[in-house]
Amino acid sequence: MKTKNFFCNKIWNKYNYVLIFLVILTVFLIINGSATTWVSLMNIPRHSAVIGIIALSMGLIILTGDIDLSVGSQLALIGGLTVTVFNGTNSITLSLLFGIGFGGLLGFFNGFLIGRLKMPAFIVTLATMLMFRSIAQTVMNSNKWTIYQLNAKLDQWQNLWKIGNASVPILQIPYLVIIFILVVILMSYMTTNTKFGKRVYAIGSNEKAAHLSGINIWQSRVIVYVIGGILVGFATFLYVANVGSVDPATSGKNYELYAIAGVVIGEISMSGGKGRLSGVFFGAMSFTIIDKIITALGLNPLINDTIKGGILLLAIGVQMLPEAFRKMRKKQI
Amino acid sequence: MPLLKMSNITKSFFGVNVLNNVDLTVEKGEVHALLGENGAGKSTLMNILGGVYLRDSGTIEFDGEELHHQSIKSAEKAGIAFVHQELTVINNLCVYENLFLNKELVNPLGTVRKKEMIARTEELFNRLGVDMDPTALVGDLDTSRKQLLEIAKSLFADAKLLILDEPTTALNNDEIDHLFKIIERLRQIGKTFIFISHKMPEIFRIAQSYTVLRNSYFIKSGKLSDTNPEEIARLMVGESYANNEIYQARTLGEPIVELENYSGIGFSDVTLSIRQGEVIGLTGLQGSGASDLLQTIFGVKSATGGKLRIFGKEMIHNDTIQNAMRNRVGMLASNRKENSVFPDMNLLENTYIAEHTLNNRSQLIVKENETAKFSEYQRLLNIKANDCGDLITSLSGGNQQKVILARWLNTNAEILLLDNPTQGIDVGAKAEIYKLILELSKSGKTIIVNTLEIPEIQKVADRCVVFYHGTIQAILDHSEITEQTVMIHATQAMRALSNEKADE
Repeated sequence: MKTKNFFCNKIWNKYNYVLIFLVILTVFLIINGSATTWVSLMNIPRHSAVIGIIALSMGLIILTGDIDLSVGSQLALIGGLTVTVFNGTNSITLSLLFGIGFGGLLGFFNGFLIGRLKMPAFIVTLATMLMFRSIAQTVMNSNKWTIYQLNAKLDQWQNLWKIGNASVPILQIPYLVIIFILVVILMSYMTTNTKFGKRVYAIGSNEKAAHLSGINIWQSRVIVYVIGGILVGFATFLYVANVGSVDPATSGKNYELYAIAGVVIGEISMSGGKGRLSGVFFGAMSFTIIDKIITALGLNPLINDTIKGGILLLAIGVQMLPEAFRKMRKKQI
Repeated sequence: MPLLKMSNITKSFFGVNVLNNVDLTVEKGEVHALLGENGAGKSTLMNILGGVYLRDSGTIEFDGEELHHQSIKSAEKAGIAFVHQELTVINNLCVYENLFLNKELVNPLGTVRKKEMIARTEELFNRLGVDMDPTALVGDLDTSRKQLLEIAKSLFADAKLLILDEPTTALNNDEIDHLFKIIERLRQIGKTFIFISHKMPEIFRIAQSYTVLRNSYFIKSGKLSDTNPEEIARLMVGESYANNEIYQARTLGEPIVELENYSGIGFSDVTLSIRQGEVIGLTGLQGSGASDLLQTIFGVKSATGGKLRIFGKEMIHNDTIQNAMRNRVGMLASNRKENSVFPDMNLLENTYIAEHTLNNRSQLIVKENETAKFSEYQRLLNIKANDCGDLITSLSGGNQQKVILARWLNTNAEILLLDNPTQGIDVGAKAEIYKLILELSKSGKTIIVNTLEIPEIQKVADRCVVFYHGTIQAILDHSEITEQTVMIHATQAMRALSNEKADE
């Protein structure tokens, strides 16, 4: 009995984000019932791709014990400029390279202030969150645009649109889903099978010990933020391909909070050093399904965030329960 | 009648007796030195007196009354104040706010009566002869003044007996003079002190009587005027039970670590040449500078002067840890939990983290190679663990320390700096660690150990370097290392002795 209990505990501790995902998925399937098709099922990872990749960026940064509140504003700024670059060049490759490169640059800006100048991550990214979005709005306004809109008359527009919305012919799997899964695999591999990944965990686990093991803390921090920025840049490119326009007032709004929620449901500890990026995959999808459940139930969309917030609290509560029970039992002894 | 009479105090933790029928008698108006090595039972005894621990048996009489169920509150109420080694004053508050913390004078509306509190603080300081501004921010004060404030705080609560636990560790000589003047003044107006210190000159300067504990037993008490520093040192360490079985003389190689007037924060003018395969024991009291020396060699702190050559190559003063590692130096840091262990990572990751920073040309990890190499270390160091994928926190302290040792062996370090390697591990594991040190030195590793435990140095060190206040007091050859000689140098008993003779 005891060993069985121990085994269950272990599974629960390691994979509870998968179980939470399955529970939410089941609820969705029950509610959605007759309307469930392959396409609607594929829509779950498809609609999770952009926020999911941003959550991977957030997850990497949170693993070192830091945070990035500016990801939503990064999306607005990178997105607006990527649209402009595409409209100017009619080149998908250049737009992609610009998105990634500019994302890396914004990440470097955050990372340098946090890593090298040792400013608190919360404050730095709070400031850049305000800055990036406002720059996006200012650039738009000074050009007398009302929105950053892809020019549909360009001949590459169709291909760009396909990346964001079409599926692989016979398999009926959206390109976005394949890209999302590839990024998840790449990031999971990087964090678990490279020396750099171990450094990320080491810094989050015990920064002092990491320093005394010869790890260059500030350099690692800067690299983490640059990679985070590149991921956001890539996610932004997909966003542009998918939506076709960027409105600095609304695009990416609250994404930092949704990304953090995905990370937390994915069982990555906010204090750093604990958890796996593969968890973020399920965390982000769980969050997307909640959206769909709300739509399926035909609820007022304004109640959306209340339910999301509530489910976040519930998920964290469920994850923490076994630990809390153990502590209570210990106290009684 | 004595102010305090503790009789037959016994206390055990988890079946281990840490105090065996210990007596302590303190007269009113004296400074009583409580002496003993680390682990002799001094702090347990004081924690019982201060109400932190409950005694298993024995009686405490204080000021004519027997103290029964003790708690920190009841001890304070009876007039016993424990001034801990770590300061508990709050840096962000003013002096008077610290003094009145939690007992603020308030108006009926709940607002504080600031002026009155400041006035009463001034009054207290005048009585003590302390020159301190009640409205100064505590964070701006130097350490000795914080210490004084701490003492003032207990006097403010009407303490009759003050326990001072190594109050001079963080103070310089002038500050010590100042503190001692005030203690003497308070003693004359009838306050009583129990003074815990390892520094012999201080004890003979400030205290009138003493009690020595050793290995959880009461050894002797009496007047300091009837004894001398050498006798006290002997009483503290007991008849040496030197156990040299495991030590073997070896032929040593060329000098590979050379220090010339090497200085840094916490130590100065260290000149020392260490040969390949040698085991050097550094010792001294807490804060003697030995640990700072190791950290500076490893590049954690910057050196301020002098020269350091490793393998004949001169090191630059503000060198980095990475550079020390590239020059084949490894450091097992003190305070394992804080400075070495990655609690969220497994044994393999904990072992390999330093090697990864050294060889990061290829970023990919080949897990099979690492697992195989870890099994080798596991055998070599006798690490008791099931699986290299287990979290390091699942191991005992001794085995954790061996994993950290493997971390540094794995960087191919030739020079190992071990800062207090047996801290917080049990006796059996300690013996194992020291056996490993000898084995490693036989295989050509050069090892510098900093420890406060002299019997351990006696077992393994070819030479012992004794520090006092950041400078080398003595370099003893293996045959000269005895607890007594080390203790005499480490506590500066010789100087106290010569001062005494000069006085005569």
